[in-house]
Order: sequence, then structure tokens, then C-alpha cells
Amino acid sequence: MKKLLTGNEAVAEGITESGADVVTGYPGTPSTEVVLTLLSQKKKLDMHIEWSVNEKVAFEIAAGAAWAGKRAIVTMKMSGVNVIADSLSSISYSGCNGGLVIFVADDPGVSAGMPEEDSRYYAQSMIVPMLDLASQQECLDYVKIAFDISEKIGGPIFLRSTTDISHVASDVVLGEILIRSRKAYFTRDIAKYTKAGATWCMAQHRDALNRLGAVIEISDNYISESGIRVNETYLVPDSQCGIIYAGAVQGNFQEILKNYNLNLSWLKIGMVHPLPEKRLKDFLAIHDRILVLEELDPLIEKEVIRIAYSTNKEITILGKLNNTLPLIGTYSFRIIKKGIEALLEKKLGADENIDVDLTAANQLIVKRPTSFCIGCPHRGTYYALNKAIKKLKYKKDEVIITGDIGCTILGMNKPFESCWTEVAMGASIGLAQGFKHAGIEKPVIATIGDSTFFHAGIPPLINAVYQKVNLTVIILDNGWTAMTGFEENPGTIPIVSGNTSRVDIEKICRGCGIHELFVIDPYDVENSIKTLMKAIDCLGVSVVIARRECALQAKRRKKNTVKYVVNKEKCTGCRLCLNELACPAMVFSPKNEKSKAYMSINSACTGCGLCESICPVGAIEVVNNGK
Amino acid sequence: MESNIYISGVGGQGAIRLGQIIADYALQKGKKIKFFKEVGMAQRGGAVHCEIRIGNVFGSRIPPYSSDATVVMELSEGLKALEFIKPGGTVILNNNKVYPIDLMTKPEKYPEFQEIEELFKKTKAKIIWINAKKIAIDLGLSVAENVVLLGALSYILSFDKRVLLKILKKNIPREIEKNLYAFQEGYRITEGIKK
Repeated sequence: MKKLLTGNEAVAEGITESGADVVTGYPGTPSTEVVLTLLSQKKKLDMHIEWSVNEKVAFEIAAGAAWAGKRAIVTMKMSGVNVIADSLSSISYSGCNGGLVIFVADDPGVSAGMPEEDSRYYAQSMIVPMLDLASQQECLDYVKIAFDISEKIGGPIFLRSTTDISHVASDVVLGEILIRSRKAYFTRDIAKYTKAGATWCMAQHRDALNRLGAVIEISDNYISESGIRVNETYLVPDSQCGIIYAGAVQGNFQEILKNYNLNLSWLKIGMVHPLPEKRLKDFLAIHDRILVLEELDPLIEKEVIRIAYSTNKEITILGKLNNTLPLIGTYSFRIIKKGIEALLEKKLGADENIDVDLTAANQLIVKRPTSFCIGCPHRGTYYALNKAIKKLKYKKDEVIITGDIGCTILGMNKPFESCWTEVAMGASIGLAQGFKHAGIEKPVIATIGDSTFFHAGIPPLINAVYQKVNLTVIILDNGWTAMTGFEENPGTIPIVSGNTSRVDIEKICRGCGIHELFVIDPYDVENSIKTLMKAIDCLGVSVVIARRECALQAKRRKKNTVKYVVNKEKCTGCRLCLNELACPAMVFSPKNEKSKAYMSINSACTGCGLCESICPVGAIEVVNNGK
Repeated sequence: MESNIYISGVGGQGAIRLGQIIADYALQKGKKIKFFKEVGMAQRGGAVHCEIRIGNVFGSRIPPYSSDATVVMELSEGLKALEFIKPGGTVILNNNKVYPIDLMTKPEKYPEFQEIEELFKKTKAKIIWINAKKIAIDLGLSVAENVVLLGALSYILSFDKRVLLKILKKNIPREIEKNLYAFQEGYRITEGIKK
């Protein structure tokens, strides 16, 4: 049977078909939909599925399950691998009994703002094999291969995707669901599962290297259920030129072969660590010009150069290191075509429509700066924060506000322009302490969302209390991990995943030793300003929890009861609401012959009432149930 | 045989749903499909676009100047499609401007219809203007621009109407009859222009 599935949905299907027992993850674009898809089918699946508090915890849970002989998979974006790295090296050295798969989605081209990091380095540094996905069908097939290899070698394995694989849908052939039943067991073996002593650690190091050695043998001729070879060589007799590629470049590469009717030798690498040395050497032995196609860093290219050196023959290798191809961004049709043209030393035909003036068009395209969603409670918090700073007689450019990951960072944009920095999960609170110790005398404020706080905001908060830093932390608690697509976190009222219990941020703060603790409703503008002024003026660490459910989630759950409209007679068209709040539901009608200038609010209003609170002439009026 | 369809708009217009219906249709017809979606900041008034590739295709993105049918749901956003439009292909221009917040007070900064049309004319593609929003509103539907445009596409790409309408019905939460009429209007207008 065929189904239209995105790469991430296909990974989820692969997990189901593999008979996995435990699935964990932390949301992060472009990886989120794997767990989301499985959670939506939770009732009919016999597996434990959870959004964990952060990637490290998620990984450790999966590893524990795999140590007990089960099949477990953990999902994350590339930034998450930085978070799991500490545990990963230990677990990689120890190995595992069951199947342990780490699914990571990299984001070349940056569809969601974070560093354009290449997770493949971790496969090398952590001695963990890595499969690289090149199509949506592979997403499904390779989960099964990954579990199989992991169990065969007795160690964890990476399954790596990129945005162009994870977020694209394609027709995917479904397979059979594997029915497994293995009892959980774990044998005490401290030489394998602890790190006490050099002898054991070095023996474990040897074991990890041996597992990697075994992977080359197993993977090189592996064929998936639907007939895809993990590593594959295609040879054109007497061809001087050859292409070595891995990952998402496959689509555009094949497209170019088809479009320009080319028949070229190629070597596809599905297992990017360890590389198929012999296969590469054989390929290099019969070609003089090589093009290496891989997005982000030249990992394969460097290895190809090393292997080429051992062939004792002159080979021209084109790629990133000689500036044929870029290190940054995804590889479009145009970029790969340019690479193949360099390889073949000829043009493949024009790809410009000279009549179309793209420069003129680009200048005309209207910019769409992003702000908060309609009714977003963060709008109220940042509005009140700016007002509080002003009322305390500070200038806007002398109060440093460190921002954090997630929706809350949108406070950096117009009209608020509040946040100054964005680094990593929880980093707002650590950075803020550094500013204070450096001698910044004016207030320093950290803003962080609820899920980000749970993820990595608690240790830096404890540190601030411990070191008696004068600091204000604002936790913008909308009850959801909203930016990545509204996932649950420990603070969410459990509705989707069911059997979970809620953890109270207020109690956490109290437990961390916060005495100056305030809770505000960001829809209550006046009180929010007053409370924030008080908190900023406190000595020591003060925490303000700005609590109000994400407006989009509240709307889905039909929690909104009112809408607002503008009384056209009263509205003076001053645009204060538009300039200060920039709500996407606001519509401005300029003055014309028939009418004065006035504002209106469209039907998408979710009834936050912020505009009503700040309208100087009382022109904004409430209507019940939008009627 | 392959078809490339490029759809651009802004959040809330239903560009992705339109793409999804076409992709589902292609699956029903047993074709190979690549369906790329850019949603990012849709909820926050951001740009949205999707690309549907049907037939003997490999890459997830439409190669330069290869889009057979291009649907511009929002005029300025449509300019991003220029480098994909195939000479001899078809462009459906939905007569709709959506102002971002900072342009509401200075609408004169939004490009003129003629300026935009001139740029599209140079692609040597056939241009079809449709006021999908007005058609939808006249039918009493607030969000059916995408259904009208589906009707137009259905004519241009000679879709199997019986199969397509079945999928459309599954995707409509309410007011099915009115939506089918909206589809038919899009189809009829395009047929009239093309003939």
C-alpha cells in the first residue's frame, strides 16, 4: 500500500513497523512531527511515547529501555545532539542490548533560526554509526535497518535527516508491522555499565571501535525491504568522471541527470559513518575527476581526499574545499548543476529566462516582519515590560534583556524590540548573570518561556540565587511548547498524552529559593506594569511568572468567550493600538473622500483585550461570543 | 509526463490545503509525488508557499522555469515564483493584496497591479486573472479562495473531476454545496478565458 507521507511521518511509520517499545523526544524543527504523529496514534500503538523535559533526559530514557533489551528511539533537532552529548559518549562506549536509534534532523538552509550545525561530526567523535536519509521512502525503510544494525552490533546508531527530507511529502510504500515480544531484562555488569577505572573505560573504548568496524561489513551491501541499497555504486564504462554523494542532494542530482539526459558514474553513501572505504577506493581507482555532493561541512570530501591519496594516482576532487560548492545552505538544482558543469567542464544549457527581471521583482516584494500571533499573551508581557522600564525612568537602550529560545524571542521584533540576545535553551538566565558580574549597573532582565525553563532554565536560576545576583527573570508561561507546533510539556494541563501529571513552575521557583516571586496575567496591562516595576526594583533574584494560555491553543479548545470591535464613531484613527501592539487582527483604513481614518478588528480576534486597555478614547468595545 | 505546480500566498488563505488536495489527488491517480511546504510563520501573518511535483520527478523543489501551473494567491508574494514559471505555462493571478501591518498606514508602498502584471507577462506564460476572494465572498464563504483556484487549476491541468471532487469534499468542514459551486465558478471562468 502507498501513502502520502512527509519524511517525518515516514519515520514514525518506520518506528511502528519496527515494533519499537519506547519513543522519546524533545520538540525541535525540523524533527518534531515524528513524535507528534505517533502521539496522534497513541491509542492503537503498544509503545511508550513521550515528550521528555529535554533531549538529554529523552536520550537517557531511550538508552535505559535499550539496556533492558527493548527497541527505543529518541528524536531531536541538531541542537539537541549538543544536549545529549555528555550521556552519548558514555552510552556509546558501553553499547546496549536492545536496539537504540538516535533520530536527528539537521536544518541546512535554516527553516527555523538556529546555527546551521552539521550533526555528522558527532557520529565521528562519539564512535556511533550514522545513516543519512536521501528520500522519504528511506525514512521508513532505514528506521528498520537502524534497529537491525543496532541490535546486531550491540550499540547505538544515528539516523540523520535534513529539512528537505523531513518536511517534504512523497508517495511511500508501507511495509509489514513487526510483532515482537521481548521481556525486559538487565544483567548487572559493572565493567560494561560503569566508568570506574581506566581498565574498564579503555576496554569499553576498544568495544566501541570494534562495533564500528563491524558496521562496515554489515552495512555496505545492506538492501532495504523496498529494495534500496544503503551504499550503492553505479558505473558507466570508460567514464573518467564520477560523483560521490550522500543525503538530501539525491533528489536534485537525479533531477539533473534526467533533465540533461546525462549518464554518469556515481557512488551513493547511505552510511556516512563509518564510510565504505573499499567501495570508495574501488570507485576512485577507475575515475580521474570526482565531484563530492554533500550539504554543510566537507566531511565525506575530506575522507575521499584521504582515500584518494592511498591510490597513488592523480585524481581531481571537486567540492567545497576548492570552492566549487558552498559550505552554507541547501543544495538547490542550480548549485548542483553548477557542480556537475565544473566536473564535466562544460555548460549544461541555459537556466535563465533573460526576459524575467528578478532583481526588479525582488525589490517589489513586500516584507512581512513577524510578530506575535493574534491574542498572544507574550504581546501583553513585552508591552508591560517596556512600559515598566520607562516608568522606572530607565532608557530603553540601557536595560539589557536577554531572550531565549521559542516564541518568547519574538519580543526582539517590532514593535517591542525588547530582547537583545538569543543563544540556547535556558541561556538567557546564565548570560544575564554574566552581565551583572561584568559590572552592568542598570537592571538586567531575562525572558524565557515555560518549556525552555523546564528544559534548561532551572540550573542557572539556582546559580543566580546561590551567587546572590541582582536579576529579574520573567517566565512567559503559556502552558505549551508552542513555537514548534504546540507540544505538551510538564506545565501543560494534560489533554493529549493523557496519563501525566502537571509540574508547577511557581513551586519550582520557591524550591530554588526565590522569595521575590510574582504571578501576573499578561492580559491585565495595568497590574502587569505595576508588578514588573516592583520586580525590577527588588534586590536579589526576582521572578515574574506571566501566565496565560497560548491564544491559539485556547481558541482550539474554545476557551475564548469574547471578541472586540472598534466603534468607528469614537475612533480617531490615532493608530496607537497598531503602533504599540501590532496585532495581526487589526486593519487600518486611511482617510479618503468619504471617510476619516479609522481602525477595525477582523473576525480572527481572540479577545485578549489589550487594545481595549490602551485605547486613549475608549473606542474598542467588547462583544460576547463574537456576536 | 510530469506536472509542476507552484502555489504562493500568506497565512490563512489555504495555500497548503490547496496543495494537499492536489497531492492527495495525484496519489489516488497512482502517480509519483513530491510535495514541499513552506509554512514557517503562517500564524503570524508570514509568507506561505508550496510546490507539488507529479510524475517522473526526483527533487522536492521545482527546477528553475519549470512550473507548469503557478497559483498566485497574494500578488506581492507571487513575485517569488517568477524564477520558476515555465514559458508557455499558466499563471493564475488572484486579485488580492494582503497588507503586512507596517504597510497598512502606507499602502502606497505596495506595488501597483500593473507593475506586477508587467513582470508576469515577461515570463511568456499565459496569465489568467481571477478574483477568487470576491467569488468566495459573493457565495457567502469567507475562506474559499483556495477552492475557487482549485477549480481553475483543475481545468488547466485537465484533472479527473470525479476523483478530485471526492477528495475536495473530504477536505471541506462545512457548506459543501457552496464550496462545490465555488470550485465550479473557478473552473468555468478559466474555461471561458482559455477558449
